[in-house]
Amino acid sequence: MTNLVSARNVSKSFGQLRAVDNVSFDIEKGRILGLIGPNGAGKTTLLKAVLGLTDCDGELLVLGIDPFRDRRQLMKDVCFIADVAVLPRWIRVHQLLDFVAATHPGFSRERVNKFLAETRIRKTAKVRELSKGMITQLHLAIIMSIDAKLLVLDEPTLGLDIIFRKEFYANLLGDYFDGERTILITTHQVEEIEQLLTDIMFIDQGRILLHSPMEDLADRFVQLITSGSHADAARKLGPISESSLFGKSVLTFEGVDRTRLQPFGEMHTPTVADLFVAKVKGARA
Amino acid sequence: MMIGHQRVLIRRELWEHPAIYITPLVIGLIVLLVTLTGQVSFSAYGEAVNIAIVGAQSVDEQHRATAVGGVLAVVATIFSIGAWIVMIFYSLDALYTERKDKSILFWRSLPITDAETVVSKLITALFVIPFVTVAAVMLTQVLLLAITSVWVMFQGGDASHLVWAPAPLADAWFAVIVLALALPLWLSPLIGWFLFASAFTKRSPLLLALLPIIVLPLLEKLLIGSRYIGDAIWVRSFRPPIINFEQLKHIEINGQLSLPEGSQALSLSDQLDISSFLVSPSLWAGLVVCGLLVTAAIYVRRYRDESY
Repeated sequence: MTNLVSARNVSKSFGQLRAVDNVSFDIEKGRILGLIGPNGAGKTTLLKAVLGLTDCDGELLVLGIDPFRDRRQLMKDVCFIADVAVLPRWIRVHQLLDFVAATHPGFSRERVNKFLAETRIRKTAKVRELSKGMITQLHLAIIMSIDAKLLVLDEPTLGLDIIFRKEFYANLLGDYFDGERTILITTHQVEEIEQLLTDIMFIDQGRILLHSPMEDLADRFVQLITSGSHADAARKLGPISESSLFGKSVLTFEGVDRTRLQPFGEMHTPTVADLFVAKVKGARA
Repeated sequence: MMIGHQRVLIRRELWEHPAIYITPLVIGLIVLLVTLTGQVSFSAYGEAVNIAIVGAQSVDEQHRATAVGGVLAVVATIFSIGAWIVMIFYSLDALYTERKDKSILFWRSLPITDAETVVSKLITALFVIPFVTVAAVMLTQVLLLAITSVWVMFQGGDASHLVWAPAPLADAWFAVIVLALALPLWLSPLIGWFLFASAFTKRSPLLLALLPIIVLPLLEKLLIGSRYIGDAIWVRSFRPPIINFEQLKHIEINGQLSLPEGSQALSLSDQLDISSFLVSPSLWAGLVVCGLLVTAAIYVRRYRDESY
């Protein structure tokens, strides 16, 4: 089985609102997928469905099982960090480690001790005594010490300063990711994780706008900076979005051969952030 | 599988709610302190003390046993009130705080079922709290007797004759253990209701929990004129069938304790009625109600996603 997650026509509605609207996708083993969307796009709902925290329509399989029905089984192989603030504040660090060790078959005390030794976290401290950054370090240390097949991170670095954020991702890539594991991650700070992703998925209004390996983006998308009559000619080739920058037009094309665009101006491969804006604006237009 | 995680789940409840053991500890300390200061200040009345000790030495064994037994019963009663308050606040908090501080998302990221978690909280309320209390009661009673015997010896009395020999410890402890098992089971529908309120409410579990207990009897009285609900709540709260209230009526305390005819000394376990408790339909109906409410609490924790 190479598909770790497999979704077919998955939907989830809250009353009139279709938070997730008939999406289908597969996530292969060993990928690091960035799930990117504006607030209220349905990212969190989709993650909740994958984690078995909410029911959904359609067919969703994670590691070959129904995440909602077989949650307990699922949680043996899936880890998640939902938000930075969810560790119980009253607990002491050593109690937390004892608890996870007693309940999670894949947890390694050796690993967690190694990770914690590199931080300033004392085992006797209560979580409420730790700074926000330290709580995230602690949570990440626990998660990275669990031998899981799928790791889901929903805005894991929200509210942390840049140093902690960089360190977080460095640890994740350096100490955790080994090509066997699969990571699913959402964040608003796309630029910071762009380099570590292998795949990207854009989601807006409950629908998937794009799901592609990172290395295909350069072939598939191109950004043309142009002006005047060149811009008019280029527009005939059907850009997916247009914006202006210092009086010039920035056109983004999907699936248009670069040689055809060459005469009209300067070409770039769009950044993920640019691409995201282009896709969302294009889809909403 | 269900049992495997219970140990660590219950340990977690003790970590999170130190009131479970601190409350009986504090009650025990207060009881002992009051005893100590009482005895020390009573020592000032030299002659009265002598008379009391001589008097105590001259009354018969049964009366001494009754007196010491009465003290032991009062101690146990103070603890049980404390335990009941801890139980109420514990079960109201058990499934509410984890939602309020969002730690439920962490707990649910581990391979533990919601049923396991909720059951561990029920076990903590119905068994762990009472038995921590029982241990504290026994310890306090022994220390109380020890303090008293030291005092009696200082006053020139014979401690083994006055304190230890008549102390009906076996009888008192048997009664305490039976009550620690029986009363929580009898109160289980209320505990189940509190756990459900704790899992269900958006704010103030206490308010939600008390609302029907206060409003329903009033409504019944106003609309139908009857008072079945109020009576049911009264009986559930204050008339557990494990205690033989008919028999208790015959014990009178007015300056002097008078026992029902035929009994030698006051026996606490004699006031229990285990067989009629076990066959009481109310007990079993209550357990069923508790089961239903706890199932509903599990269902709410499992299916309602609001905290993420």
